[in-house]
Amino acid sequence: MDKLIIIKYGELSTKKDNINFFIDCLNKNIKLAVNDLKLMTKFDRGRMFIMGEEEQLNKAINALKKVFGIHEMMIGYKINSDQMPDIEQTLVTLLKEQEFNTFKVETKRSNKAYPGTSLAISKHLGGIILKALPNKQVAINHPELLVTIEIRKEGTYFYYESIPGLGGYPVGVQGKGLLMLSGGIDSPVAGYLAIKRGVKLAAVYFESPPHTSVQAKNKVLKLAKILAPYNNDIKVHIINFTKIQEAIYQNIPRDYLITIMRRMMYRISAIINYNMKGHVIINGESIGQVASQTLASMKAINEVVKIPVIRPVACFDKLEIIRLAEQIGTYETSILPYEDCCTIFVPEHPVIKPSITKCLAYEKLIPYEELIYEAVANQEVIKVVAKEEKEVHPLL
Amino acid sequence: MIYLDYSATTPVLYDVLESYNKASRDYIGNANSLHALGVKSKALLDSATKQISELFNVEEQEIIYTSGATEANNMIIKGIAFAYKNRGNHIIVSKLEHPSVYVICEYLEMCGFKISYVDNDEEGLIDFEDLKRKIKPETILVSICGVNSEMGLRQPLKTIRQIIKKENPNTFFHSDITQGVGKIPINLHDVDLASISGHKIFGPKGIGMIYKAEKITLTPIIHGVSKNTSLNPGTPPLPLIVAFSKALRIALDDLDKKENLIKRLNDKICLEIAKYDTIKINKTRYSIPHILNLSLMSIKPETLIHALDEYEIYIGTNTACSSGELSNAVMAVYGETKRALTTVRISISAITTNDEINKFLKAFKEEYEKLSKTSH
Repeated sequence: MDKLIIIKYGELSTKKDNINFFIDCLNKNIKLAVNDLKLMTKFDRGRMFIMGEEEQLNKAINALKKVFGIHEMMIGYKINSDQMPDIEQTLVTLLKEQEFNTFKVETKRSNKAYPGTSLAISKHLGGIILKALPNKQVAINHPELLVTIEIRKEGTYFYYESIPGLGGYPVGVQGKGLLMLSGGIDSPVAGYLAIKRGVKLAAVYFESPPHTSVQAKNKVLKLAKILAPYNNDIKVHIINFTKIQEAIYQNIPRDYLITIMRRMMYRISAIINYNMKGHVIINGESIGQVASQTLASMKAINEVVKIPVIRPVACFDKLEIIRLAEQIGTYETSILPYEDCCTIFVPEHPVIKPSITKCLAYEKLIPYEELIYEAVANQEVIKVVAKEEKEVHPLL
Repeated sequence: MIYLDYSATTPVLYDVLESYNKASRDYIGNANSLHALGVKSKALLDSATKQISELFNVEEQEIIYTSGATEANNMIIKGIAFAYKNRGNHIIVSKLEHPSVYVICEYLEMCGFKISYVDNDEEGLIDFEDLKRKIKPETILVSICGVNSEMGLRQPLKTIRQIIKKENPNTFFHSDITQGVGKIPINLHDVDLASISGHKIFGPKGIGMIYKAEKITLTPIIHGVSKNTSLNPGTPPLPLIVAFSKALRIALDDLDKKENLIKRLNDKICLEIAKYDTIKINKTRYSIPHILNLSLMSIKPETLIHALDEYEIYIGTNTACSSGELSNAVMAVYGETKRALTTVRISISAITTNDEINKFLKAFKEEYEKLSKTSH
């Protein structure tokens, strides 16, 4: 008897014309997620089978829990026989180990030449279980244990254990997007939600040394590391923002510091996004959370780019975002206390209803196009990989 | 030189010492400093801790560095006692502990705590029934060593934990596993707290660690400024930690293979020693092969040890920390004073050779026969 994982696709089944593209993408993602394990994968009739040794399968399940597009994983067992006595014996052996009171057997025969109807086989096997295991009852409507038996030409499959997948779309099916990753609580959550809908992310981080520290940058890379398994690795573009930020600080009226700074960040993000052939910018803005995130501010800031800016957590309360961050596992890292670009040079009273006319006028005071060009040209790109590098430090 | 006192301490492995030296030379920054050198040191510190956490399958924040096992035992036993004294004032220890545990218990008795000593059977296994009887609602801690240092008696930690938690789920279980790490497989999830030392696993002296399950609080016994946990304040000794992490990685490699080698050498010594009528081999089925305890009976252990010095052969008395005293473990298992007073301990490691054992047995024979004539 061999153990195996059967992967069921979720929302994908609603896609009609594109389904093959979606499934190909998911299969590729699944293979990437488990490519360090010794496994055999097989695609068949809208499902995927993964076979291997128990320990490897357990590792695979953990890896697949981070793959979007998987609706459900079933733990199954296979025997290389379709003979009724073998099926009966295996079924009893498997169910002996399970704790349940009520059950139901469902049979599928892809081999329609197999004698008997599916219903008749189910009834027969249900009877076998009742006879072999004491105190069990059949429940047609809400069984505690639903045992599915699939009789095929090459053998028989049994499955009854289900592990929920993440759902969503396979990452990449929607093309690419650029996440503005700050190191706070909101932006990693925003990134996660975008990946969930199939957006393959890259990230941009603005650093301002010496006003911001290496620790702050490492924190952002750590956050990227947590997102990486969902995204099949993630590229982080690091922009040195010091000159721009200092120019803003020296020339722009205090109440517009943040507005203009965000406009610069948007402009830079749009360029990176264009260069990587992305479609959208994604960020962690939440309506009204801070002065630069009021609707008026969003309008004044958003005005500098022509591509869509998606704000997945725009309508979430802070506590809702925190809850998600805890689920994803980014919260503990996000709350490490390091200064980032948005927390230095903060004016006491930032404008909450900025005017676009004023923004344009103030921006004439600094040679921002040159500075932006320089910042983008000097960007550092770090590829944060999903898989743990197993290299031992030479001193360790 | 033939060294057969690995349970007292081990030499530092060459590679481990190299790591110590390189870390001292190339990582001069204080891991708590903000500048780039500090960040570099902190990154190495984090990698070292991560490696240990992965080797033991625990969380990084569950590891607290100490100067060794004695400090670890102090921080744990006193730390639990003071942190949970509102729950109760009763602590249980076995009769097979390292002497440091008893000294800590004496101190705690002066502070108003009550200490019980759990019995063991004639083979050195903890008496489970006695343990059950002794656990009360006010019992806050049970401390039982994973492997006893004198006779190498190994305890089933998982079973003991189950018994403790069944009797009183609020009682914590600590195990000093200093003599077990690198010798037998250890699962830290079988205990709530553990003490480990670096110099018993071919690491440097002056470094050890505590494993503390995350939910447990210890009252600190050392106060200072700390970036990591409030329990080990001060500048982290990066070279020691790096060397410890490396020593641990090497020590946990191939445990089975090493144990087989050591068992063969142990059997060889036992076979030979069995020929002497008067000598008693203090070994039960719970003794691990790395530690072999003998009672010389008619000869003073110190005399033999000094005699073997001439051959540059080094064996131990019951434990290095209580030389010349009665062996607690031999007394607890056999209950014979003379037997417990005349013990020597031969401890073997994976780098011990067949040839070394042959030479030891030859020298032992010569000296034993010589000394027997002058004894009474």
